[in-house]
Amino acid sequence: MSPISKLAVAAAIMAGSTAYLAYLGASTSWRYYLLVDECVHSRDKFIGQRLRVSGRVARQSLALSTDRSVVSFVLRGQQSAISVSCKGPLPDNLAEDMDVVVEGTVDEHGLLRGDKVLTRCASKYETRDGSLATGR
Amino acid sequence: MRIFGELCLLASFVGFGYAAFACLIARHDRWKHMAGIGVNTAIASTQALTMTLAVLAWALVNKDFGFEYVAQYTSRLLPWHYCLSALWVGQAGSLLLWTWLLATLSLIFLLTARTDSRLATTSFGFLSAIVCFLTTIMVFAADPMKSSLSLQSEGLGLSPLLQHPSMLIHPPVVFLAYAAWAIPSALAAAALCSGELDTRWIQLARPWAVFAWTVLGAGLLLGAHWAYQELGWGGYWGWDPVENGSLLPWLTGTALIHSLMAWRHRGCLKKSALSLAIGTFGLCNFATFLTRSGIFSSVHAFSQSPIGWMFLGLMAVLLIGGGTLVFLRRGDLSPQRQLSSAFSRESLVLFSACLLFLLTCVVLVGTLYVPLSGLFVGHMVQIGPAFYNNVLMPIGILLLASTAVVPLTRWGSAPSKGQRKSLLICGLPALAVPFLAACCGWRHPVALAVMSLSVLAVCTTFAGLALDAWRHSTTRHLFGVFLMLRQRRRLYCGYAIHLALACLAIGITGSSLGTRRHDADLNEGDVVEWSGRRIEYSRLAQREDEDKLIAEAELRVSRGGDMPVILKPARHLYLLQNQWTTEVAIHSTWTADFYVILHAGLGEGRVALTFIENPLMHWIWLGGWLAAGSGLVAIWPARIKRRRQGGQLRNARQSIALAPVRRRAA
Repeated sequence: MSPISKLAVAAAIMAGSTAYLAYLGASTSWRYYLLVDECVHSRDKFIGQRLRVSGRVARQSLALSTDRSVVSFVLRGQQSAISVSCKGPLPDNLAEDMDVVVEGTVDEHGLLRGDKVLTRCASKYETRDGSLATGR
Repeated sequence: MRIFGELCLLASFVGFGYAAFACLIARHDRWKHMAGIGVNTAIASTQALTMTLAVLAWALVNKDFGFEYVAQYTSRLLPWHYCLSALWVGQAGSLLLWTWLLATLSLIFLLTARTDSRLATTSFGFLSAIVCFLTTIMVFAADPMKSSLSLQSEGLGLSPLLQHPSMLIHPPVVFLAYAAWAIPSALAAAALCSGELDTRWIQLARPWAVFAWTVLGAGLLLGAHWAYQELGWGGYWGWDPVENGSLLPWLTGTALIHSLMAWRHRGCLKKSALSLAIGTFGLCNFATFLTRSGIFSSVHAFSQSPIGWMFLGLMAVLLIGGGTLVFLRRGDLSPQRQLSSAFSRESLVLFSACLLFLLTCVVLVGTLYVPLSGLFVGHMVQIGPAFYNNVLMPIGILLLASTAVVPLTRWGSAPSKGQRKSLLICGLPALAVPFLAACCGWRHPVALAVMSLSVLAVCTTFAGLALDAWRHSTTRHLFGVFLMLRQRRRLYCGYAIHLALACLAIGITGSSLGTRRHDADLNEGDVVEWSGRRIEYSRLAQREDEDKLIAEAELRVSRGGDMPVILKPARHLYLLQNQWTTEVAIHSTWTADFYVILHAGLGEGRVALTFIENPLMHWIWLGGWLAAGSGLVAIWPARIKRRRQGGQLRNARQSIALAPVRRRAA
């Protein structure tokens, strides 16, 4: 067997094993990534499933517990909204009117029970629309 | 001042466009004289760009809110160094910095290469075209000199999360790396266009590739350090799309540096080297697309912007153009020698390059899983860290194994008898150490494998050095070691980087497998015993700074009979932004980091705290800095006299080495 053939066999084994391991990792860690409107419209389909839902925190809806371990707010989409109750580590910059992604499950009452919130802070590469004009 | 900056930006936009045209057309003998004009135009344009950058920096430090950019990212109370850091925090400012770095590095490249070389001039033409592309974006889509719509008395301020020392260095270091990767890419494109596919382009590209690799590695490390200290979740890497974006060119860049070595020594892996050179810079543009398009969720800041798509377009042009050129030149890129042994050094390089390529593919697929699943399945699906970790673990161990044995291999043939014997001797401690560790209670197979391979890497490096010294010095062996380190500085810097990889593997394995966490609500005076430590919560102090309110818990932590350490985790409320930040407290030792997070005050001095023990974290930073230091030593230029001698020697050696091939071809 020539060195090239040996290396080709090794490469094929490596590629196959990598693909299998990647598949195993994906099958145990995948979750749906939805917008609020999709989540609300197909709610029954997603009950109990592990989801990530992207939307904007509605104004005057954010309520944080004193120890910052529990938060509730309304997550707004283009046409619909969903109530969120989240328990777990919260980002420091969580605020109203901010784009966030909530990870958790939807229950039969349509409440999104989250355990992780990711913020999509708009302050780094572009300030929020209108914030400068009003001289906040 | 603003108008002056705007005019300078416009001048550089036009100037770089012309410089690119002049340098590229100078490839033809009829237009050879255009090269000088193009270079002079580029020098003038770089000066204009420097002026634009200076104007923006001046406006930021002096808080001139007449600039919209300054009003968006600074405030009156912001310290001057964070005002200056706002230069790379915003869209337009970071683009300006990147463009300026690329323009400056391009000139340094031209000065250090021979300016009369056609290869260097054509490469410079490509680099000027990329600078022109970046200035076009600034002129038409992200103008850093834009004026404020109304008179501002106060700015919006800098995000508190970005007010951290690592943020003063991390972004410019990453932009420097992105700029530096453009040079090997331009050289590869120029070599393919001109057909000058000998080792000259490698001599020019190699130091820039090593520089870019080192700087990008340092940038990734600084980003990880910032995440570890500032984001307050106890980790340093979250497989976030933007982190992945910067990791991708680092992985392909590693494969590129090794492929260049294989080409130089054995005349093989030519197509891989050229494709990787172009692809790595393409992936830098892909990373920029991830950051600026706003299509992914990330701990990094995002906004919807058309700019990201322009970078995706540039990446597509680079990949399609580069791929086409490699295909058209495939006849000139066949290997000069076939692989002679599966255990030769070039086989090991090929094996490692394949592993790095696989890892790149996995990270790329994981990063793009959300939009790809939306496109092909109908529902967007995201995958978690398990996907990456499942693949990283075996590939990482195989990479560590190949770096561990490489000092005892040689180019062109299987290891010599002496090398094989040394490898067997080195294998003894590599087996003994994990055996002892297993007897002491360490049972995790991954931890034992990493331990064994790390010991093997250290032993083989010293064994390789000893063999070299023995071969080249007959009397004084210690002097021989010194001579070898001096004469083969680059080679041994490479081995030092391999040892740094072992340190990183130790740190990553320890911190992934051994992390422990404990949540506690404590009153003043409470004592907790956890993880062999006695933790006493003394008090909660509150004070006020100019721009923030600070709440700080004081903890006395002791372990065994050691002196207690005072740790002060805190929370800061930034008044302008009305935003809290978590300031963690860390006590680092070589065995573990003790990491404390203050979540909230619960009233009457009661606090909610989290304690985390992260084993072997020091080894990650040690590995990172060892790799960065070794990379910089490797590219440090040799003395001119020695370099000339070395060049002559190398040429003579190459002509001797290639003689049989030429004879066979004849």
